[in-house]
Amino acid sequence: MTTMKHLFLAIAFAPFALFAQERYGTRTGTITFFSETPAENIEAVNRKVSSVWDVSTGAIQFAALIKAFEFEKALMQEHFNENYMESNTYPKADFKGTVSGVSAEQLKKPGTYDVTVEGDLTIHGVTRKVSHPGKITVNENGSVKAVSRFIVKPEDHGIKVPAVVRKNIAEEIAVSVDLDLAKL
Amino acid sequence: MIAVGATVAVIGGIFAWREYQRPHASAHKLEASHVVSATELLADFQQDEEAATAKYVGDHSTPIEVAGTIRLIDTEAPGIINAVLDTGDPMSGVVCEFNENDFPADWSHGMDVRIKGFCSGMLMDVVIQRCVPII
Repeated sequence: MTTMKHLFLAIAFAPFALFAQERYGTRTGTITFFSETPAENIEAVNRKVSSVWDVSTGAIQFAALIKAFEFEKALMQEHFNENYMESNTYPKADFKGTVSGVSAEQLKKPGTYDVTVEGDLTIHGVTRKVSHPGKITVNENGSVKAVSRFIVKPEDHGIKVPAVVRKNIAEEIAVSVDLDLAKL
Repeated sequence: MIAVGATVAVIGGIFAWREYQRPHASAHKLEASHVVSATELLADFQQDEEAATAKYVGDHSTPIEVAGTIRLIDTEAPGIINAVLDTGDPMSGVVCEFNENDFPADWSHGMDVRIKGFCSGMLMDVVIQRCVPII
């Protein structure tokens, strides 16, 4: 069994039920990133993000396969995997941390709540402590949507951009995380 | 000399532009590197994820062919349809992502199907993208 699967199962199915934990998850979350420069704009989307959020403890984690990011142009996708993300060596990115600012009680009624997401973001094998704002929306049907927008600097994760294409890739990449979470 | 230089520059420019605009390879037109059942595919990843990634994902340029029974069909985003193939493991499946134009209208839950697509690896499920049906 894979390490990643162990991690998710540990959160999702550990014998915490006695404490009435509230857990939400998805296997089809979305991460989008956008690089904007005068030379060109580059966007990619990954619709296969796995995430589990334990509301009672606030613990959240999500993971994404690097090769599951899809670009409009094949050449961009190949350069992203081979030259920048080195996805054969670092096939996954993940985040492990906590969500604060919303309680299990609040999730029982529809509304939108401002939260803070803090934890360890690992990209390209380099882990950085991060803290970002987010929003949790509880819909009328009880489903939960978690959203966060933040900036990632490639250099913070040891991602080297060759000088010849430096003007084509932004120093700050805008990242959007959208998770439609269902109760587990 | 100037004419030769200009010709080389034009040819180089055309080549670079065509390469830049090159579309993603279609699984329709490529031969699968491996033919496997959904159950075997998941078992390979569970047994040795690194080896299975090298075998089935590779450089992401060659599709694999997978056979299985549809456990679930969901439309998560506009234009995208996911068919989850049963693996015998209730916690993990093989998620096959189709462009909605490539998804057969008569495919439904419980059908035995074969697909071809590009494996991206495994999180909770094995993920296969840009899938096409083999009919």
